Amino acid sequence: MAETKYDVLIIGSGASGGMAAYTLTKKGIKCLMLDAGPAIDFERQRVNKSSYELPFRGFGKPGRLSHVFQATEFNANQWVDEVQVPYTHDPKEPYNWVRVRMIGGKSLFWARMSFRFSDYEFRAKDHDGYGDNWPISYADLAPYYDQVEPIFRVRGRRDGIQQLPDGIFIEDTSGESEANRRFIAAARERGIPNTKMRTSMGRGQFASSFNLLLPDAMASGNLTIVPNAVVREITVDKNTGLANGAKFIERQSHREMHAGARVVVVGASCLESTRLLLNSGIANSSGTLGRYLHDQFYITESVQAVIPEARDGKSASGFSNGFIGGGGYMPRFRNLKAKEKNFLRGYALDWSTGGSPDAKYFPLYGEALQKAVESCRGAGFSCTVMGEVLPRVDSQVRIDKGVTDAWGIPVLHIQTRYTSNEFNMAKDAIATLEELCHACRWEVLGRHDQMFPPGYSIHELGTCRMGESPKTSVLNKWNQSWDIKNLFVVDGSSFVTGGSQNPTMTILALSMRASEYMAGQMRKGQL
Amino acid sequence: MKRRRFIQALAASPAAPALLAQQAVPQINQPAAPANAPLHYASSDEGAQAVLHFFNPQQFAALRKLSDILMPANLAPDGMPGSVEAMAPEFLDFLLSESAGDRQQVYRNGLDGLNSQARKRFGKLFADVDAGQADMLLAPLREPWTHDVPSDPVAALLRAAKDDVRRATLNSRAWNLAAVAGRTRGGGGGLYWLPID
Repeated sequence: MAETKYDVLIIGSGASGGMAAYTLTKKGIKCLMLDAGPAIDFERQRVNKSSYELPFRGFGKPGRLSHVFQATEFNANQWVDEVQVPYTHDPKEPYNWVRVRMIGGKSLFWARMSFRFSDYEFRAKDHDGYGDNWPISYADLAPYYDQVEPIFRVRGRRDGIQQLPDGIFIEDTSGESEANRRFIAAARERGIPNTKMRTSMGRGQFASSFNLLLPDAMASGNLTIVPNAVVREITVDKNTGLANGAKFIERQSHREMHAGARVVVVGASCLESTRLLLNSGIANSSGTLGRYLHDQFYITESVQAVIPEARDGKSASGFSNGFIGGGGYMPRFRNLKAKEKNFLRGYALDWSTGGSPDAKYFPLYGEALQKAVESCRGAGFSCTVMGEVLPRVDSQVRIDKGVTDAWGIPVLHIQTRYTSNEFNMAKDAIATLEELCHACRWEVLGRHDQMFPPGYSIHELGTCRMGESPKTSVLNKWNQSWDIKNLFVVDGSSFVTGGSQNPTMTILALSMRASEYMAGQMRKGQL
Repeated sequence: MKRRRFIQALAASPAAPALLAQQAVPQINQPAAPANAPLHYASSDEGAQAVLHFFNPQQFAALRKLSDILMPANLAPDGMPGSVEAMAPEFLDFLLSESAGDRQQVYRNGLDGLNSQARKRFGKLFADVDAGQADMLLAPLREPWTHDVPSDPVAALLRAAKDDVRRATLNSRAWNLAAVAGRTRGGGGGLYWLPID
């Protein structure tokens, strides 16, 4: 086996792996980072084109990336090729596994919505009796959110909403348009809070590990990054039972290599991390590795409405006349004080005014349709519903030994589906939104409660969860394997519940917290 | 030393890059070459006719008529191309030929149904009905939007075609040229990701 040159091997360069590198290298710890994808020169990798120049006029090649609803003909090459890295599922239970393999990972493309979890998530079982609590509370993670938000330059407004804790924000002092004020007031009358969207501003065109975390880690002189390294197995010393590195395959040459280190940190993205542990046959004495997969269900364009006063060009000056435009975020408001509805937990609403409803919503065609589209340009209201999905023991992934990827690595079989709890929540969300639109005297063009298949939100969580006991969880409260003390898993796979908030800030805070603990243990000679 | 062997030996020597570079640059003064005229390229649609593969002649004639009704020329503002000028029906023939079977069935069954209804109600194919008759056959398009795809084959076709014809027109070279000429918005475009090596 090769000589161990590095203190820590980090697998994955996205939000979680990047934060581990950022934290550890600043403490003088030598890190080797492996990522399955290449380093991208964004200036050379992307070119401006018109739709007509594309082979399929912007429709995309039929059948390519059939699970990636976010894919367009313009961005198709940025996603993981489903033929090269397949996965399996029951045809009746589709799962949209949306993946990116390049330095920076999915943090290059996220929606930047930056929220904290609260004890409604961390202590969820205490609140409603379902499932399990996290082994930590909000107070444990708050100091790390405090450090992460300034790095990502989160813009937001402090509103003192208990279920959506305030953070260290670049204060959003923008006003509200008249249409928005009306919508917010209608919500307030019904006990629904609203705040400004909380967004990572980042630097330049990215708010990514690629530009906010890795450069500082590299500048420390303690980080080595190896792109195009497809990790197939974490290796374990038979004598000590400790992890001692990982075997990987060079993406292009298919040459097999081994990287050694004293400690192994896995941040390969939720399901890739679990796939790696399952393929390595480690860290599963509890039998829970692969279980409790959850995410947030998404219903985009859930309610489409037209704001009559903004029709026929009256929205043209939009923000300047203060009538229409902008949006907001309504955090979970159901089931906070008591069990109020026919479902557990709740959903959040990401809404906006000033858009243009798609032509499909108008029951017209030809010239009449064109006139209606022009009339309603900039006069629309739209909302995405984001609902909490319950973690269930039978929502799981396992290795499908009959199928391998382009590097001969067995793939995942994913088994999950939404149930009545999510469906009832969706119905409540749509009814609530429609009621709000009617209260504002807005014309509802279309409404639906049909969520995308699981996975669509790209917020896959769980399958390698933290917990209080090695019998019911894979990781302890420090994201450390119960079974192998020098193995840490720092991405979304460690989540116990997912809430309705976008998870990236929590992933970053958890990774920073785990890395600081790790560094302390290494300093004490415990690792 | 034979010339080939000399070149091989030269290439292997530490000084090879510099020596070969010197060889490759002839030191001859030449008058400046005249600038080339810029090259302009046409799209396939501009330079040629599509060879149709997917629809039979009756289906294609119905699609062409339907496209013209859904997205006619000279919608505001004047001068914008319609779906026929944008060769949307020809493009959809290609797109459908590459599509999954269920999508193909929506179009084939729907266009057959549209022709069947036209023949039953007006004694002619859909391509030959007048504006008033077409309006009656397109009644499902005046129903409010629902998320669920209609079970009726003609209604399902009309719903799919309404989106596809519009998009194929807005994303066409013809529309792009008109948009560039300042007659309307769009033409559609963006940052294209090149394939990753």
